[in-house]
Amino acid sequence: MDMFLNAALLALDPWAIGAVGFGTFIGLVFGSIPGLTFTVALALALPVTFAMDSVPATGLLLGTYIGGMTGGSVSAILLGIPGTPSAAATVMDGHPMAKRGQASIALGAAVVASVFGGIFSLAVMIVSVNLVSRLAIGFGPAEIFALVVFGLSTICGLCGGSILKGLISGVVGLMVMTVGMDQIEGVPRMTFGSIGLMSGVSLLVAMIGLFAVPFIIEASAGDGGGQGAGRMARIRADLPGLRLLLSKAWLMVRCSALGTGIGAIPGTGGAIASFLAYDHARRTSADKASFGQGNLDGVIAPEAANNAVTGGTLIPLLSLGIPGDPATAIVLAGLMIHGISPGPALFMNHATEVYGMYVAVVIAYLWVLALQLAGIRLFVHVLKIPRELLAAGVLVLCLIGAWSVRNSVFDIYAMGIIGVAAYVLVALRVPITPIILGMVLGPTIENEFRTALMLSGGSADIFLHSPIALLFLGLAALVIVLQAVGEIRLRASQQKVNA
Amino acid sequence: MTDLRKDLVLGLVLLAAGAGWSALAWATLSPGFGGGDIGPRAFPLAFGVILMGLSALFIANTLGRDTGGAAAKEGSASILWGPALLLLLEIAVYGALLEKIGFVLATPLLVLAVLGANLKIRGPLTLAAMAAGLTAGCWLVFGKLLGIYLPGGTWVDLG
Repeated sequence: MDMFLNAALLALDPWAIGAVGFGTFIGLVFGSIPGLTFTVALALALPVTFAMDSVPATGLLLGTYIGGMTGGSVSAILLGIPGTPSAAATVMDGHPMAKRGQASIALGAAVVASVFGGIFSLAVMIVSVNLVSRLAIGFGPAEIFALVVFGLSTICGLCGGSILKGLISGVVGLMVMTVGMDQIEGVPRMTFGSIGLMSGVSLLVAMIGLFAVPFIIEASAGDGGGQGAGRMARIRADLPGLRLLLSKAWLMVRCSALGTGIGAIPGTGGAIASFLAYDHARRTSADKASFGQGNLDGVIAPEAANNAVTGGTLIPLLSLGIPGDPATAIVLAGLMIHGISPGPALFMNHATEVYGMYVAVVIAYLWVLALQLAGIRLFVHVLKIPRELLAAGVLVLCLIGAWSVRNSVFDIYAMGIIGVAAYVLVALRVPITPIILGMVLGPTIENEFRTALMLSGGSADIFLHSPIALLFLGLAALVIVLQAVGEIRLRASQQKVNA
Repeated sequence: MTDLRKDLVLGLVLLAAGAGWSALAWATLSPGFGGGDIGPRAFPLAFGVILMGLSALFIANTLGRDTGGAAAKEGSASILWGPALLLLLEIAVYGALLEKIGFVLATPLLVLAVLGANLKIRGPLTLAAMAAGLTAGCWLVFGKLLGIYLPGGTWVDLG
């Protein structure tokens, strides 16, 4: 208790609170601009922490991480362009809400769900860090492969009108991610002799192209400012009411638990968690048809889950020293620079710093809440900008984002080509969200499958002898069967109506 | 073009893409060495074959579709090929110019081209303000404040 109070005093020092706030703000800015990820923000923030004490330093890094994870929802809702891959699922219902003039409701709900998810995962982490880390470490290649297959099965729920088109879209995403150097044997694949393609297609660049370029091309069909004016009349700055949010509390709890669990498994991450949570919300909703049209649950579920990942990833990071993704690897580097070595002895050797981190996470989420809620009334004014001028601004931001991923002109070309292809697909009513899901899950599914087979000497028994792998593969099969049965029933009822 | 025909063309293009992809994967990638190594070819090839299968199913589904049904009445948007290809060209030229004349000079040219040619903005004041404002704002915020590297040109470098 003394150690906790000591840590709380250190973390509640005005200098430390300011450091967390600064990190949160930088994270929010980087997270909300497509292409500028919070991993970049963390890399830029890391040198700033060198001269700081350990508690404010780790607070700044955690604030940047948390702010970045939350910030992706702002551009996802307002522009339909996710700031980070974790916010890709938020686009599906967040942006339709913004189009209906409910941007502030969606943004407000996203912030509250994010904060709830983050605090929930922190609480789970504090209570069960040893238990969860022991469970998470039990996930080998076979189990992660099965989990990712389960994630892939949610494509069925993202298909919109046509399951076949959605599946095709998902396979295209999987194919795109096989381009580049093979991660296991180091040979170039499907590069067509291009040096630029040797390093593969960046997920971020593809995401910018998929969501931003169709928006810019569609703006070309506008009638110069008229659309902007039309949109302005419908914009309100109402925040979601307490009663509405309370009615979503159980959904937030479920999705936060899912996000925490996914986050605790190294090599997974926010994007997988948010898609799984979105699919869970859709499948358990009484109003499934409204998903994709602007259902608030479709915003709350992914946002609660992807922020719950932040606490989840800290579990293996602190207890075992295993970073789950590049962002937490930078946080790990920051900890080690300050002499904090994560691992089983962490809680004995650095209890004050660990408790300080817990308090810093809470402060970071309070900063997120304050900054985002204060900013919502400003953010929604983005929608008042005439669509044509907004499109030009979005294009420049996206080009900077694509360039800054690898400081390569090739990524600018890739963004343009992928974007135009995405525009054609959108015009042909092919859903593009499954492409993102395929791209997110593609590298993991292949690497884990191949690693599992190599470990087992080529025997598929490795998947069948693991209860965890069997559970997830069974769940995937169940989701696909339920979706297919639902589709057949829907068609049968439509045929009856037509007859 | 009707929705039915559009879907048919889409299915055929995807089928051809899947076939081309699979053939390329088969011809250029090595199989595994055995003993659990399935090699770098297995997944690209499998995805190509799956795409072919799904496309064939999609074509069959499209051909068997009830042309008078609700799905047929749901009109898909017409494709704006002109603006789409123009934007692609502008992005390609911007990429080339970025290396030659740098961010500070290439960006206003891109903004002017996109606003004038694609978005049909004609007011000279709006054009000038957008080109100068976006370039200066991004250069200041990203280049100077956030420390993102923005390229200078090999021909002209204004920083």
